[in-house]
This record gives sequence, structure tokens and C-alpha cells, in this order.
Amino acid sequence: MRYHWLVSSLTLLISACSTASPEQAQVAAPIHIRWSTDPIALDPLAFPNQNAVEAAALLHLSLLQNDYQTDSFTACLAEQLPTVQFVGDSVTRLEYHLRPAAKWDDGRPVLATDVDFTLKLMQCPGLPNEMSRTQFSFIRQVLPDPVDPRHFTLVCRGQAVEMINASGDFPILPEAALDAQHTLRALPLAVLQDWPAAKVPLPPVAALVRRYQSADIARTPGNLPGCGPYRLVVWEHNRHVLFSRKATWWADSLHAAPFVLQARPQLLDYLIMPEDAAATIALRRHELDVYPHMSARSFQQLQTSESVRQEFAFYTEPSYDVVVVGFNTSRATLRNKLTRQALSRLLDPAGLLAATQLGQGSLTVGLLPPTNPFYNDSLAALTYAPSQAQALLLKAGWQRQPDGNWQQPGSKEPLALALRYRADDATFATIALQFRAAAAKLGIIVTLVPTEANVLSSALKSGDFDICVRTLKGSPFGLNFSVYFHSKAIGTSNFSRFNQYATDHLLEAIEVESNRLRKRHLLRNFQERIRDEVPLVPLFFLSNRLVTNKQLRHVVTSGLKPGYAVQALMWAQTDSLASGPTP
Amino acid sequence: MLAAWGIASLVFLVSRVLPVSPEQVALIEAEDLSRAVGPASAVQLAASQQAIRQRLGLAAPVFYITRIPGSTNDWQWNGLHNQYHDWLSQVLHGNLGKSYLDGQPVTTLLAHALAYSVPLAGSAAVLATTLALVLALFLASASGGGGRTLVQASLAALQVIPLFLLALTLLLLLANPEMLNLMPESSRSPAPNQLAAIGRWAGRAALPILSLVLAVLPTLTLPLAASLRHELNAAYATTARAKGLPIGRVLRRHLLPNALLPLFTTLTDLLPTLVAGTVVVEVAFSLPGSGRLLAEAAAAHDYPIVVAGVLLLAGVRLLCLIAADMLYFMADPRLRPTT
Amino acid sequence: MNFIWRPLPVAYWLALVWLSVVLATGLLAPWLPLPYPAATPDLLHMAAPPTPPHYLGTDPLGRDVLAGLIAGAQRLVMLSLPAVGLATLVGAATGSAAGFWGNSQLRMPLTLVAGLLAGGYWLAALPARLGITSCLLAIGATSGLLAWKRARVGRSGAGPTIAVPLDSLVLGTTAVLGAIPRLILLVALAAGPPLSSTQLLALLALVAWPETARLVRAHTLRVRVQPFIEAAQASGLPGWRVWLRHALPHACQPLYAFVPLSLAGLIGLENALAFLGIGQGPDSVSWGSLLTTVRQDPTAWWVAAAPGLALLCTLLALQQLAQTPKTPFILRQNRTK
Repeated sequence: MRYHWLVSSLTLLISACSTASPEQAQVAAPIHIRWSTDPIALDPLAFPNQNAVEAAALLHLSLLQNDYQTDSFTACLAEQLPTVQFVGDSVTRLEYHLRPAAKWDDGRPVLATDVDFTLKLMQCPGLPNEMSRTQFSFIRQVLPDPVDPRHFTLVCRGQAVEMINASGDFPILPEAALDAQHTLRALPLAVLQDWPAAKVPLPPVAALVRRYQSADIARTPGNLPGCGPYRLVVWEHNRHVLFSRKATWWADSLHAAPFVLQARPQLLDYLIMPEDAAATIALRRHELDVYPHMSARSFQQLQTSESVRQEFAFYTEPSYDVVVVGFNTSRATLRNKLTRQALSRLLDPAGLLAATQLGQGSLTVGLLPPTNPFYNDSLAALTYAPSQAQALLLKAGWQRQPDGNWQQPGSKEPLALALRYRADDATFATIALQFRAAAAKLGIIVTLVPTEANVLSSALKSGDFDICVRTLKGSPFGLNFSVYFHSKAIGTSNFSRFNQYATDHLLEAIEVESNRLRKRHLLRNFQERIRDEVPLVPLFFLSNRLVTNKQLRHVVTSGLKPGYAVQALMWAQTDSLASGPTP
Repeated sequence: MLAAWGIASLVFLVSRVLPVSPEQVALIEAEDLSRAVGPASAVQLAASQQAIRQRLGLAAPVFYITRIPGSTNDWQWNGLHNQYHDWLSQVLHGNLGKSYLDGQPVTTLLAHALAYSVPLAGSAAVLATTLALVLALFLASASGGGGRTLVQASLAALQVIPLFLLALTLLLLLANPEMLNLMPESSRSPAPNQLAAIGRWAGRAALPILSLVLAVLPTLTLPLAASLRHELNAAYATTARAKGLPIGRVLRRHLLPNALLPLFTTLTDLLPTLVAGTVVVEVAFSLPGSGRLLAEAAAAHDYPIVVAGVLLLAGVRLLCLIAADMLYFMADPRLRPTT
Repeated sequence: MNFIWRPLPVAYWLALVWLSVVLATGLLAPWLPLPYPAATPDLLHMAAPPTPPHYLGTDPLGRDVLAGLIAGAQRLVMLSLPAVGLATLVGAATGSAAGFWGNSQLRMPLTLVAGLLAGGYWLAALPARLGITSCLLAIGATSGLLAWKRARVGRSGAGPTIAVPLDSLVLGTTAVLGAIPRLILLVALAAGPPLSSTQLLALLALVAWPETARLVRAHTLRVRVQPFIEAAQASGLPGWRVWLRHALPHACQPLYAFVPLSLAGLIGLENALAFLGIGQGPDSVSWGSLLTTVRQDPTAWWVAAAPGLALLCTLLALQQLAQTPKTPFILRQNRTK
């Protein structure tokens, strides 16, 4: 009797749940995409994570943007790639011309003054722009054209080749939204850049900072509207972010719009789901339409089901990220390159690729993917060879003791190494375990130290490790290895503390080389050197896996994050409506 | 209240001493982005770190007195211009600061997150307590036999299963199109009326509440059942049974008030955990609750949120302790709290 | 007098057998022969179902589940059980002491207290330590002098004593330790160097101790007002003896059901530590860490089944032991002469 109320209330609840709202026409249905973290802040000056970068690409446009079809940088707001002019040996001038059709939402054209304003905004103290400030401090001056307000020249410090792409990779912001009185135009950019941190900022700068802070751009990006195709409609923190296509966008009037200026979906709904298993279930229940960066195991398991194969499309694309095992060459035990070569023979890259990535990925002999034209195919692939490892250790001077450990003559220290890797990654754990087991067979003591991501980063920078397993992010835009191997980067990105005069020279030569044949020769030389010195062992390149609803058309996959071009997606119905009924 | 302030101060001071600071975390994340600009040099990195530190207010000295670096026991007076003083004066005015990551006021963030967590945790606690009482009475009264062993074994099994495994199993069993698909579709259009809104919330919250209830049930039931069984051997229980009262009545009217004490202790321990410790459930079911907020803030070294969360939790826990003491007194007037 | 042997239930013997198996496995683990070595990933059989030589299958990291079970038993016997034991011991002692003496019953000589505080302050190197330590030592010396004078005159008593607020101390410490959210503790630990086994043991005991203390304190408040305690105090026994021999055994009654729960909670904490990478690397396996690997491949039921069953049986066994009456016989007075 007393459970009557419970039963009746339960039935009421269930009946309330099952009243489904009427299905919307699929044409206007949003595309549900999975994000694993919240973008945190949609501030165009600071990008807390990759999702914020994606969101900024929807809301704003830059001079040059990623073209996912060709994996290269193409002109977006600029009409074409900039004209490069080297002045002396340390200055570059890049000439840009903005598209005449480019307009802000209120009808004003996008002019060189907006670019100038954006660069100056990056230098204002008190705003969350510290990263942008350092990244774009190589641009020293914006020279406007007195005749054409859309033509300007960027004067940059240095002459690296990848600086050309970097000079256009920031979102252009409207001057009219925050600085309608043009108070900052009179101030040269170099003055702002060289302003000492302790000095009080100038009054117009301080006023601008106050206006920016009161606008709360991080949560309401609409206060600093961009010229991109989408605007933010709803943002439920940690739940979902909804973007809606602007009804009238300036690029719609271009008749031969390049790929980067096409925006087909009407509504983009990003659902934030941190747990992979829950996201897979949501995908199968059709609550998600696009699932990027799926793990290899769930990718394979989903494909075994026939019903899933009929409803979803599966894509694999090789990425530019390579898993490497790095050695700290400044440690006494690892100083000799023969020791490092011996340790590199204890890894089993082929087996590890098959085990962790289920074969999806590609083995490599250097830091370049096998599809790269500069890949050195004359180097032999590394395999698991314990006998070779033993021979190399003996050659390096290590002597095997009766208790199984290895020691250098004259030293009491056995060969014991600490292997650091990021704690929450299964791939790294498997690699670490395999290395440890192989080393234990030979008598080398390896201690595994799974470390939290932030602590790992600072440990790598300070050199507090012997061996590490990590992923190096690559890109198709630049083959800049000085980041990882030049001696001036020791303490920041050169975690292996590789310090060789000859390699430094080689890297500097590669940086400025533009002749393809000579560059190929230099890069082959470089890969051989890395194979000989072994500051790190590249294991394999990872791939991006994508699963989409089969009803989505124009899925363009790419090796770069996020792995697909979101602006090209379209529902099948819309596509057929657009192209007319098929006979 | 003093203890809450003490704990929050402790967390504040400890957080400033940790080796990896928020500005480093912000810059570490920035290295991973797929953009054309390359990584910064050491000098540039140091400059941007200092700039971030100044913007976030971390450049000032930490406390009124700090140890002079290098010496072991020389302290210097820093005056009122230090981080602790600023934080304290802000807290006393009700301002809990702004998050380091997105600059939003901490009170807004916490309020939003709690609006999700508190109804969830509250309903889970109520359901769990009623179920625990029912099961404990059943366990104490059933004199051996299959039912009792089964319930005991399943409670032990629930204890053993880690929370995330429980949540995952429920998700895979009850929301999977391949198995039972009981969870309703989540629709984004606004609800037609209030009842439908509650119904929709209940449908989405059913699985998380179920996993929370199942997770805390053994902790509440088993000590209570043991306590009841122990009380069954007492003299007054024998008297009651000799009087002819049915066993159920004996348990409910006579034994339960005496055996409730461990339940109060565990319940008051549980409530703060339900508010902030349910990270696993919130991550598994994609709920933007307070547990997840605190966990992510702790991982990203977003100290204003962490310190505010600790303050809140400490306050809740202390209130629960006071409530527990009051409940002891109500249940058993012989227990006077010590002076 | 007659002894009637009460037959112990079958479940009791099963529980005993299981616990001895676990104990034996844990102690003999380094010498047991294994079909596949522990902590070695089998790269060809990742997350493979049970087939020879992996009689219980492999987990998503490639480790053999059987070897993991044995290693987990070793970790349980060497780490978790001692940690639970330590936590229970410390918790029971402090909780019952706090409940028994309250805030005003325990009196200690002023000399001792002053000396301890002085030593603590000096070691902690807090500001102005020279001044404060000398003040405390002066107070201690004066009270010591007074006590010596009283003893010379022949008066009883230990001189000036001070009431130690034991209840507030214990409650405050448990509140502070309990109020620090586990998450904060874990993140703070993640920033430091990896922990050795002894440090891990101490940490687990530190985290588990407050709950036991509060439970025992609550029960002591009830036991303290019982008539037999009054009788013991009236019979002239010293305070500590009443506490130790009479109050403590009864105050520990709720612990019998609580210890298995405490063990489950510690295993949960170990899981969280392993997940964040603080405890020890993946080469030291525990039953809990095997369970956490299921997250990477939810369809690998064998990875959850074996350690889950093992944990379940252990907890059930502990519960069964806790429930069975302590003596296998009951005393019956022989009425008929």
C-alpha cells in the first residue's frame, strides 16, 4: 500500500521522459561533434587548449589558414601568400594584400589598421596574451600603404622559412569594437614591444586594457566579433557549445571561394564528453555525429559490428606526431653514444606498433614520416636485437659483473636508469614495460616513473630523467629540428640535451636552405647523424582516426589536428537539395 | 569555522609552494597546439612566465613573514602587501577571487557546478539512507538463509567494484543500443512544462544517481547491520522479545535508535564526499558538477577554485560534524558532548 | 562445568582457507613458478581472452592476469593489510582515548608538556624560536622546581598539572585530515618524487586513520557511561588501566564490520594513486590497478573478473571472520548437582 505513491510517481516520471520532442528536419539539424575538454576561454589572444583553437577558427579568420585538403597554409583573409623580401641578413619584409570583399559584421571593411590593432593588442600588459606576445614578437613593424588601406608590409626580425606561415597565423580583431577612437594608431608597435614590465603603461593602453577586461571576452566572445562564418549561440560550461552560421557572411559573395572560405554547416553543436566509453555509446545512440581521435582499440571493435558499419563511416589518416624514446645525453651513464645505440636495440618498434596501435600507424627510421619526400630510406629499420645490444655495451666499456649488473671499470655504480613517461597514457606504459622487460633480461636495471603531465614537462626541461617516452608534435609546414636538437634550445625544448657543434651548423644550414636538392642532401645527412648519435629513437608515427555518421558528406580528413575540416561537412539531404533531385 | 579557515589557509600556503606553478601549466599546454608558430626560447619563456605571474597576482610575497631564501631560520616581515592578506580581505568581503584559466569569478563557477551536483548528491543520499535502513533491518532480522547471504554477498561485491567500473558497467548495460537501452533520448529543445522538465532531469540523472547509491550502500548498510545484530544480544532486546513483540518491531522501535550511531558517523562523512568526490561519476556521465570542477582545477593548478572548494568542503564537513554530535545527543540523551 | 562445542559454520572455514591461501601466495610470491613472467607485456596478445599460456588472459597493457593476481596478493599482504592494521590500531587508540578522557580528564605534569612544546617549536624552526623556546623552558623549569619541592616535603601529587584537551586535539586533527579533499592531497603528492613502500604505507595509514578514530570515539562515548566502567573506576584502578583493559575492547566493537570497508577504501585510494602515477609504476601490479585497466577496453571482462573475484572473496572472508563469535564454545553452568 505504501509503495503505491512510489510506483505512481515512477510511472509519471517515465511517461514525462518519453514525450520526445518532434524531430526537426534533418536539413537544419546541428552536427554533434565530440570534444573531450571544455575550451575554457574563447579569448582570441590566448588559447588554453586545442579546442579553443578550433573555436577561434570558427569565429575569427586570420591572414593565412590551414587548408585541410592539402595540409598547407593558404591565404584566407589575405588575397594570396605574402611576397617575401629578405633585407640584409636578419630582416624580412612580408607584403600582404587583404581581400577587398572582407567585411566585419557591421559592414565595415577589414583593413590594415585592424591588423595593426591586433598586433598591438597582443603586446598590452594585463591581458591574457603572454603566449601570443612571445610568439609574435618577431613582427616588429606594420608599414601601411598610404594609397591602399588594404595593402601593408610586415617587417619581421629573422629570416627563418617557417616564419612566413607564422606571420599570418593569428586571428584578426576589429579595431572598432574596442578602440573606436583609434587611440592606439599613433603608438608604434616596437614601442609597445620594448615597454619594460615594471613601467606604468601609457594612458591609452591602460584604457584599452580596462575596456577589454570589462568586456569579458573569454566568456562572451560576441563583444569582440570576428569576421569568421560562425557566431556563438550557447555555451554551457563543460556541457556543450553551440555555434550558428551567420546568415549573411561576406565570403558567400565570392564566386570562386577557396576551401578555407567555405562554411557549409548551419549549426555546430560540440558536446563535451571526457570519458571515451561514454562517448562511444553516445555515438551509437546517434547523440554524436562526429567522433575524432578515437582510440585504436575502440575503432577496431566498432568495425566488427555489421549494424555499425552501415550507419557510420570510418576514416584513418596518418598524422605528424611521432612516438619517441629520448635519452638524456648529459647523464654520465648515457654520455657514450655506443651505450645509447645498445639501448635502442632493446626496443621492438614493430611489435609495439602492432600492440598499441593495432597496426594503424607507420614505422619510421627518422623524425620524418615515410611519405615525406626527404625521408631517408637508406637507413635500416631498428628491430629488437639483444645480442647486438650486448655487443655494443661491451664495446662501450661496460663490464658484466657476477651479480648480473653492468658496471664501468673504476665505478661502483651499476647501469640503472629511470624511465619517465606521462602517467595516463597506455601506449607509453606498454612501451616502458617492454623496454624494462628486455633490459631486465640483459641485466640492466630500469625503474619506471609514470609522471603527471605538468611535472613531466618541467622534469624534461630541467633534465631530471634518464630515459623518457613521449610524443613529438610535428607539422607539415616546417622541418625545423633545431627545436629539438640545437644547443641553444637546451633547457626548453631540447630535452635530450643534445649538444654538438657540427649538428648545430647543419641545423642552421637546413633552416635557411631553399634549394630543394641541397635541402634533401642536408636532411639525409641529418637523419644519418641522428641515427648514429641516437639522442632519441623514433618508434612510429601515429594516425588520426575519425568516425562519422554516414549521412554526413564531404568529410575531408587531414593529418593535422583535429583531423577533419569541420566547415566542409554537410548533411546528405542538404547536399541533394543543393544539387537538385537525381534522375 | 576557525578550523575551516585554518584548512583553507593551509591549502593556500601549500599551493603557493608547489613546484609547478599555474603559469607553467598555462605555457605547457600552449606548446601542444597545432599552430605554425614554433616554441619560444628560454628568455622569452621566462619573460612570459613573469608576465603571467604578475597578471595573476602571484608575484607578491606569499605570507606576512617569509623565510629569507638561503638561510635556514631568518624570517623577514613583508607587511600587508602579500598574497595571503589580499586573499583574506577578499574572502571577508565575500569575493572568492577569479579563476586563473578564464578569469570568471569563482562564486559563479562554483554556484553553477553545485546546481548540478547538489540535487544529484541529495537524492542519492536520501535514497541510499532509506535503502540502507531497509536492508540493514532485513539483514538483522533474517536468521540465516539464502536471502541474507545473497544480500550480504552482493553488498560485498558492490564494495569491491571501483566506482568508475560500476558507472561504466551501468552505462554499458543500460544505455547501450546493443543491450537494454533504457536511458531516454536527450533533447535540447526546452521542456513544455515544469513536470516534463523534472521528468527529463530525472531521466538523465537516473543512471548517475543509481551508481552513487550502489556505491555508498555497502558503507552504510554493513556497519548498521552488524551493530543491530550486536544489539540483538543485549538484555533489553531479549526482554522485548520475551514480551512477545515481533522481531521487526523490536528492531525498529527498540534497537534502531541505539544502533544508529555508526550510521550517523558514516553519513556525515559521506555528505561532503558526495558533493566533491563524485568526479568519476560526473566524468563518466558527462555532468558538469562540482567534483569535476574541483578535480580539473586541481590538475590545472587553478588555485582560486581549489582554495574556494576546500573552504566550502571544510565548512560542509564541519557542519556535518556538528550535526552528527547533535544527532548523537538526540538519539541517546546519555551522551553529553564533552566540554 | 560443561563446555558445549558450538559447531562453526562452513563459511567460517572457507573464509579461513581463502585468507590463508592469499597470505601464503603473498608471502611466497617471489618464488612461485609462473607460466608467463609478471610485468612483461606480451605484444602479440594484448587484451587476449584466456588461452594458454595466459590461463586468465592478458590485460590491455599486455600483462598476464594470473601473474598480476599473484603480484597483487603480495602487495595486499605487504602493503594494504599492514596499512589497514596500522590505521585501525592508531585510530582505535586515539579515538577511544579522546572519547574516554574528553577535554578535561587527562592531566599531565606541566614540566613534561612545556618540555615537549619547546622541543617541537625548536625543531619546527618557526619564527622567533629562540625567545619562545626559552620562555617555555623557563616555565617547565619553574614547575619542575615546584614539583621537586613538593616531593621533598612529602606531599603527594605530581606538582602543577595541566589538563590536556585530548578530545579537541583528536577531533581537530581528524577534521583537518578528513577535510582535505583526497583530490588535493593526490595532486600535491603528484608534484613530488615517487613514493617508496614505507612512505606509501605511512600515507595510506594517515588517510585511513581519522574515520576509525571517529567511529571508535563515538562508541566510547556510549561505553563510558556504562555501569561496569564506573565500577572499575571505583575499585581504584588507575585511569589508563580502566581505559586499556575495560573500555577499549568494548569501544572497538564497531570496528569488526568497519575493517573490511576500510580495506576496500584503501584499495580504492591505491587505485587513484596508481591512476595518477604516484604510487608505483605499472611493473608493480595490484588487484585494484588491474581493475583500472578495464577502462581502456571495456569488453575485456576477464581482466575485471579475476581480480574482482579475488577482492570479493577476501572481503567476504574478512566479514565472515568478523561476524563469527569469538569463542568456539559456550560455557554452561552445570545446574544439576
